[in-house]
Amino acid sequence: MHEVSIAQSIVHTVLDEAKKQKASRVESVEVEIGELTFLGIDQVEFWVKTGFEGTIAEKAELLFKRVKGVLHCKECNYKGKLRVEEDPLYHVSLPTFSCPRCQSAKIEITQGKEALIRRIKILKK
Amino acid sequence: MRQIRQKVKSPWLNYPQFPLHFDSEKCNLFPPDLRNQEVQPIKHTVDGAIRMKTVKPAEGETFDIELEESLLRQNEELAQKNRELLDKHNIHAVDILGSIGSGKTTIVQQLVEHLQGKYRTAAIAGDLTTTIDADRIREKGAPVIQANTGKECHLDANLVKKALSKLDLEHLDLLFIENVGNLICPGEFPLGAHQRTVVVSTTEGPHMIVKHPYILMEASVVIINKIDLAGAMEVDTNRLKEDALHIKADLKVVFTNGRTGEGIPELIEALSLPKK
Repeated sequence: MHEVSIAQSIVHTVLDEAKKQKASRVESVEVEIGELTFLGIDQVEFWVKTGFEGTIAEKAELLFKRVKGVLHCKECNYKGKLRVEEDPLYHVSLPTFSCPRCQSAKIEITQGKEALIRRIKILKK
Repeated sequence: MRQIRQKVKSPWLNYPQFPLHFDSEKCNLFPPDLRNQEVQPIKHTVDGAIRMKTVKPAEGETFDIELEESLLRQNEELAQKNRELLDKHNIHAVDILGSIGSGKTTIVQQLVEHLQGKYRTAAIAGDLTTTIDADRIREKGAPVIQANTGKECHLDANLVKKALSKLDLEHLDLLFIENVGNLICPGEFPLGAHQRTVVVSTTEGPHMIVKHPYILMEASVVIINKIDLAGAMEVDTNRLKEDALHIKADLKVVFTNGRTGEGIPELIEALSLPKK
């Protein structure tokens, strides 16, 4: 549900920037979404496409990148991916918010919670 | 708290010779004033960083703009401001998440009742519509601000900011923020609260925790409510606890019965509220 507001935010930001740059067309939009956010990329993409309809970004190529979750362990200084168990029974992946090396819960998520527009490509005439 | 991502403006936007022109024969980048002069391969250094920029010749010109615009930034900044406001008044805020009907309001009612005389409490009741929840909490003697989201599935920092402006912050120690019944969307929107608790109840079935692992990421306490109905629902409450601890080992898990108040003292202890 909240994908709609995120998509709206993408549409507004891109079109505002394009207007500021006096663009005649938006060629591509690159968005990064962390896998630890609660956002479904397909849904965001659908709403962004809908939002761009009838604008100079209508034909823009949309690039969505899913950013892996990375943590930093404050105990053993591990820096790397979160442990995610694939459970075919539940048909889901089950993340563990503790250090995969020393099992400590004193961790900090350093990557994977972002939702940002990395860059846009515009055409000026 | 999440880190607040500053908007990073592309240094190219301020670069005096922007835009650069692409010379397809020499395959190098040149500022416009060098276009017809002798060709020297150059690197452009802006604030110490070497950055290359591709500009394709087209009927117009294509520009690559690095925006790095965080889509959640606005909410995060407002949440940070809420936190500062709460800290200024020494108010400890607890965000309470849970599905529809998990017992969030009943838990808040119980907390308000149990903490009477020890803390000056207030609550923000988030809901799509109606003041039913707010009225229920008010009955227990705490000031309540209803935050109606209309159709939105979560509270956001702005709604909390508005609600805070209606509370008498000078005379408060503790604030419970009851989120909209939902275990997905609210996860994305920090409100500025100091801690987050998640309520799941036995009537939601045995798989609530494993189905919503990400909501536990920022939580400190998990409340397993309606333990009196576990038998009828054939739900193993210990399994729910194990699931929670498997996902996040430092969680505090408490069992409660919101109707009778069973487990509320343990919950208060688990919340480790600031000493009065």
